[in-house]
Amino acid sequence: MADMGGKPRLPWVSWLIAAAVACIPLVITDRFLIKVLTFVGLNVLVAIGLALLFGYTGQVSMGHAAFVGIGAYTCAFLTVRIGTPWIVGFAAAGVIAAAGGLLLALPSLRLKGHYLAMATLGFGEIMSLIFVEAESVTGGVDGFARIPPPSVAGFEFKEPATLYWLVWAVAGVALLLAYNITRFRPGRAMLSLHGGEIGAVASGVDVVGTKIKAFVISAALAGLSGALYSGVVGFVSPSVFVLSSSVMYLAMAVIGGAGSLAGPVAATALFTLLEYLNALIPSMPAPIAENLGLYQTDIYGIAIILVVIFAPRGLTGLWQRRRSASSAKGGSLAERRQGSSTQADTPARPEGLEEGEGT
Amino acid sequence: MRGRHLRLSFGVLKAALAAALAATKDAQPISVGGGRFSTSAARSAPPPVSAPHPSFSSFRFSRSGVSLCKRLPVLLLVCALAMSGFGCKTPGSSEEPPSDNKGPFKIGAVLSLTGTYAPLGESAKKAIDLEVGRINAQGGVNGREIQVLIEDDGTDEAKSLAAASRLIDREEVLAIIGASGTGQSMSMRSELNRAGVAQISLAGGTVITDDFDSLVFQTPWSNTLVVPYILDAMVARNVSKVALLSDSGGYGKDGRAVILQEAPKLGLEIVSDQTFNPGDTDMSTQLTKVRSSDADAILLWNAGKEAAIIVRNATDLGLNLPMFGGSGQARLEFIEGAGEAGNGFVFATGRSLVPDNWEKGSAQHEAVSKFAEEYKAKYGEPPDIFAGHAFDAMAIVVAALERTEGMPTPAELRDAIEQTSGIPGFGGTFTFSANDHNGLGKKDVALYVVRDGKWETAE
Amino acid sequence: MSELLQFLIAGVKNGAIYALVALGFTVVFASTGAINFAQGEFFMLGGVLGVFFLRLGLPLPAAVLAAVLATAIIGGAFEALAIRPLSAGDPLKIIIVTIGGSVALRQFALHIFGPNEMIIAPFSSGPPIRFAGAAVERQTLWIWGLTLVTVACLAIVYQKTMLGKAMQATSLSHDGARLMGIDTKKMVTVAFVLSAALGAVAGLAVTPLTQTAFDVGAGIGVKGFTAAILGGLGNPLATVCGGIVLGLLESLAAGYFDPLYKDAVALVVLLGVLFVRPSGLAGLMRRGRG
Repeated sequence: MADMGGKPRLPWVSWLIAAAVACIPLVITDRFLIKVLTFVGLNVLVAIGLALLFGYTGQVSMGHAAFVGIGAYTCAFLTVRIGTPWIVGFAAAGVIAAAGGLLLALPSLRLKGHYLAMATLGFGEIMSLIFVEAESVTGGVDGFARIPPPSVAGFEFKEPATLYWLVWAVAGVALLLAYNITRFRPGRAMLSLHGGEIGAVASGVDVVGTKIKAFVISAALAGLSGALYSGVVGFVSPSVFVLSSSVMYLAMAVIGGAGSLAGPVAATALFTLLEYLNALIPSMPAPIAENLGLYQTDIYGIAIILVVIFAPRGLTGLWQRRRSASSAKGGSLAERRQGSSTQADTPARPEGLEEGEGT
Repeated sequence: MRGRHLRLSFGVLKAALAAALAATKDAQPISVGGGRFSTSAARSAPPPVSAPHPSFSSFRFSRSGVSLCKRLPVLLLVCALAMSGFGCKTPGSSEEPPSDNKGPFKIGAVLSLTGTYAPLGESAKKAIDLEVGRINAQGGVNGREIQVLIEDDGTDEAKSLAAASRLIDREEVLAIIGASGTGQSMSMRSELNRAGVAQISLAGGTVITDDFDSLVFQTPWSNTLVVPYILDAMVARNVSKVALLSDSGGYGKDGRAVILQEAPKLGLEIVSDQTFNPGDTDMSTQLTKVRSSDADAILLWNAGKEAAIIVRNATDLGLNLPMFGGSGQARLEFIEGAGEAGNGFVFATGRSLVPDNWEKGSAQHEAVSKFAEEYKAKYGEPPDIFAGHAFDAMAIVVAALERTEGMPTPAELRDAIEQTSGIPGFGGTFTFSANDHNGLGKKDVALYVVRDGKWETAE
Repeated sequence: MSELLQFLIAGVKNGAIYALVALGFTVVFASTGAINFAQGEFFMLGGVLGVFFLRLGLPLPAAVLAAVLATAIIGGAFEALAIRPLSAGDPLKIIIVTIGGSVALRQFALHIFGPNEMIIAPFSSGPPIRFAGAAVERQTLWIWGLTLVTVACLAIVYQKTMLGKAMQATSLSHDGARLMGIDTKKMVTVAFVLSAALGAVAGLAVTPLTQTAFDVGAGIGVKGFTAAILGGLGNPLATVCGGIVLGLLESLAAGYFDPLYKDAVALVVLLGVLFVRPSGLAGLMRRGRG
């Protein structure tokens, strides 16, 4: 986020980190760790979309796991039952999830705050019922088994390392895309919605179009994540795409902080790894590992609370707080927003959370 | 000033990470880990904020440099490289010469200790812990200790896959017991196939062995075995019109399909076919519909706690029809939950639920009653069927290990497991073959009736 | 006819429970502007602690009281430990903290009380009451009675006491209330204590019918949230109506359509209502009045 108006120029550190992420499978041979890091990539892909939808546009979605499910089943159905090349299934997963996003965008045009949350939650619940009941497509509760690994032009992504690269390449492209969106007009239009629609309208922002765009993009990214998930795990069942997953995705977006991509991505990486604590510490004595496994979810829940308490403006805020003190003026749009809201002593109450039009 | 401060904080971070790294590398000399780490950190560390002159450009640079977008990657990079440090260590375990001098047999277990299937996983874990303790106290298997590494999958399919991957790659287990749930058992298949490691699933889904995989074995009785048994019993009790209640979860759906297929063959008519979702807490609506039908018995097929609610709802509605069920009701919690209303409930499940069903002195009776006694002595409650399935998995693996020599490869162990023949277990007598990986028969099932808060064998 | 009556009874029975849980959501929402995702866990704690105290040998009334009190204390402690440190109350932060709290509380319950379901005997024994071909369990009468008493108490507290008036003022305007000398932080604590107690009462009342376990909170949480939204997240009376309407919708959908889709039917109706009247039943009521 260097100069606001200039060309999209990624900070050099970003390239460095990209290189580091790309190199991980070269230095790590532990397949388990690679697999966990691949799961991180899958969640990061969803987080990027939610960062745009929630962090920038201020729209709350409590049904995003449904899009991941739509993507997973679409890709699995097309490649296994219809026999299309994987890449077609992958693309279709994105397109169909995007269509679902368009559908979900409709209530957002009318509903706000908790009512939108309820509507998206309802969408998610209905979709998870469909995943169970549409047996001919989804395989029902028994799940969709024997999904082959992704393959492009005859190359099979079978090894954990190649899957890792595939997932992170998609995540990287998505991040680049999102980065470009956020730096230009669409991004600023989105961010303007986060503060309040009236102001956005007054500034000539196409509110309807911006909301729809955010929903469609985030749904498509979630769909792509689902398509990759089906290839990575090889088995898809409805128990994965449930409310608790949606809630966790949203939690990551909030913990990451509004108006930033890196925050939610970092939060997602952090909390996904937290679920696999025993992955990160090798050669842990068995009894400790076992107990850690038992209390892993407890740690996860408490960590969420602690992060919110000690990083009140999200992980992004953690960094920006120091900064805003020294550079009072300037800063990115997000920084300025956050800064001003601090001064006013009323927290930046995302419009997504205000009471609906109560009259 | 600012730059220095930030650099300082990086230094602290570096030190902390290095210390953490060193602490975890107990065996490794600290200097190696620390050295690797500091070089890598030095490569990535020059903070972008350390521009020497407060010129305009550097000011701008520093401003952007501190935004998360830039700082985070550095941190991530540090973390990544730190992890690569771990990574370099871990393959070391495979570089070590395969120590064949009486190291333990390592078996993995993936159980649902948290999440929806926590009750299943919990019982299985108790049984496994008990068996491992017993076997090792008796000198192990072929002179080696047996070690079962238990992983929790949180009733989550991605986690069960990751757990299998961890057990296979990091712990190099010879076989995997689990998972507790059907979905979690299915999702680890790709990993098993890749490594050629056998799985003994503790989940009852017919799909597990129907969707045949040479590596996958299963210990619970399948619905295709139990359903005809209970239907026979219903016919014997002069039932002709059945109201079926099943849940939409895996076990209920699977059972419902088998029931709808088998019932007409025995002259039973399903006059009311009601379903409910797992987790539903009130089934009086479904039972009201049953009341309007002319059913003369209720058949219940589900795995969860809804069964007790149904039995109570039915009694409260004045629906005094005889009720039948399957393995899902072979739980003390069901009997306690159903209370008075549960009296007279008939269900079919494994013969071993009451060890004395087996002829005294038979291998079956000995194995099952000993397990039940030891389990009760250790945990203060009799084993439920999920503990039984885990006990069976252990018995099968141990017997297979006994038939091998030295340290078997996973493939050798799989072959030995497939040769399982006449192993007395909780589920019955297991005899696997190249195309039967469940290996139980009708003789292993029995009929029970609930009376005064207990189950007893019925005819 | 008796069939319909039975469906209605089942609907109002479940609806009363949804209403109690929804009231908990409403109380916290009024003072914080946030949805308390741990509300379902309070429901779970009520039942599980009730079983715990009964197993300790307490007589039923004492066990019920102890369970409600203990849950209320846990609610207050949760607020003090996790919500209060959040400086100014950004509702989203509160929501996320309650998500974390619900995960943690559920896990604690799993570790302490084990994974299996538990049950307590009905509050009064005896056969169900039958009329016009339908049956009402005695426990259902308890559920209805407790709901009525609770709502009445809530109304009295809200209308007649200083505390209730302070809470109402806080819900109308946080800043305004503070300017009037109301300790808004205390109001948030009170709200959490109250909502935990409401959840516990609901959880206790249904345990004799449905059993309880560490994981019952999530499902009832969604129902309560739905009912609260349907009721408009404000007026307690509208909230109770929201709960009953949701219960009836589900029961009728299960009776005349398909039990598997009862939740979906209820959700679709809710989404329809939201689309027409985005502020729920309260909006409809207000509109009807003026």
